[in-house]
Amino acid sequence: MTNTTHLFLLIKISIIAFIIGAISLPSFLELISPFWLLSFFIYWLIYSNGKSVFTSAFILGILLDVLQGGILGQNALALVLSSAFILNVKKSFFVSNITTQQVYIFISTLIYLITFLLIHSLVNGLNIKWLILLSPFTSALLWPLIRLLLAKLKQ
Amino acid sequence: MRLLKLLVPVFLSIILIVFDTRFSYLDNFKKFTLTLLSPIYVVVDLPSQVIGWVNDKGADNDKLISENDYLQGQLIELKVRLQTYNNLALENQKISKLLDSSYEIPNHDVKLAHVKSISQSRLSKKIIIGKGSNDGAALSQLIVGSDGAVGQITQVTPMYSTVRLLTDPTQHMPVKNSRNGIRGITKGVASNANGMIIEFVPLDSDVKVGDIFLTSGIGNLYPSGYLVGRVTAINDTIDASFLSISLQPTQNMNKLELVLIVKEKND
Repeated sequence: MTNTTHLFLLIKISIIAFIIGAISLPSFLELISPFWLLSFFIYWLIYSNGKSVFTSAFILGILLDVLQGGILGQNALALVLSSAFILNVKKSFFVSNITTQQVYIFISTLIYLITFLLIHSLVNGLNIKWLILLSPFTSALLWPLIRLLLAKLKQ
Repeated sequence: MRLLKLLVPVFLSIILIVFDTRFSYLDNFKKFTLTLLSPIYVVVDLPSQVIGWVNDKGADNDKLISENDYLQGQLIELKVRLQTYNNLALENQKISKLLDSSYEIPNHDVKLAHVKSISQSRLSKKIIIGKGSNDGAALSQLIVGSDGAVGQITQVTPMYSTVRLLTDPTQHMPVKNSRNGIRGITKGVASNANGMIIEFVPLDSDVKVGDIFLTSGIGNLYPSGYLVGRVTAINDTIDASFLSISLQPTQNMNKLELVLIVKEKND
């Protein structure tokens, strides 16, 4: 794969993640749904050998912040820190079975969620709906499906 | 080197967070970027547009005729009610002149907008409406539904606007009691999807369960006189400085399809 192909794949999966994330769901499902951009970005990070991981994470996070009308930098920081964890375990992730991969996804989503909620609480106070704490579980559960769909997209 | 590559975006993010929460320098950047990203909203909204179009085309003729008859009836009923209102308004003007009062009945322009099935951040209560700056929508305008105030426009793109609901914990609105004019400020409650509280009402104030609160128009940011909510509980803890008043919005926020954008006519 060339650098352009890596970039093209990143743009493609980011647009899909933005679209899925903007689909309106019942409040309960919306709270527990996975952080789509993070899951999709992890796939790109593991399976495409793309360069400039942190810069890409930062830019995509900023775009998500703008799209969600949230605090600028909130998703960006969460995505950069989660990417740093995944980059650290990249080799192990690549050769692991699906269950171990789900554990890695759970941990990275947890890092994302903690960062996200910490910034939210510092700025807006502790106005949190506790169901959101289930999102690392759903991210891990849906990982095999996400991996399968993105593999089809990559071909 | 890798640590440096990580630290640069981390510090940049922190700087952006601080700047975005403390200052408004980044508002133009956000507006410009959101306009660039708004085709994503178009794509997300496409299925409901198609379903709406198919429903319109496939609607039964008899059903349309009966619906039209019903709406004609409603229109006549509302026109009759408006006559009474106009008489009251004239009476009010005369009395205001006699009393030399500076109060004037507000004159508002309204614009109809559809609520789109597009979601934003999961921790905030927001809706997106299908009217943007191209249709005259602007930041801070009040949005009302058929039963009361809904929220305030917080983001505008040429085709869409984001409305933060009154039930969002970061949304504040100055209100007054319709019975005695006691003023306060509403705030959403995160744990309750349809709950609000009123802050800064002194302990000895005359507020009863069932009282209706309206927009007060203080600060000239929102038009006054629109229904906001009904008092459901009052807690007057002795060690607190203010009453803790729970409010149920008069408008059901879960059943919004059409809303009105309200602005003063002299805007």
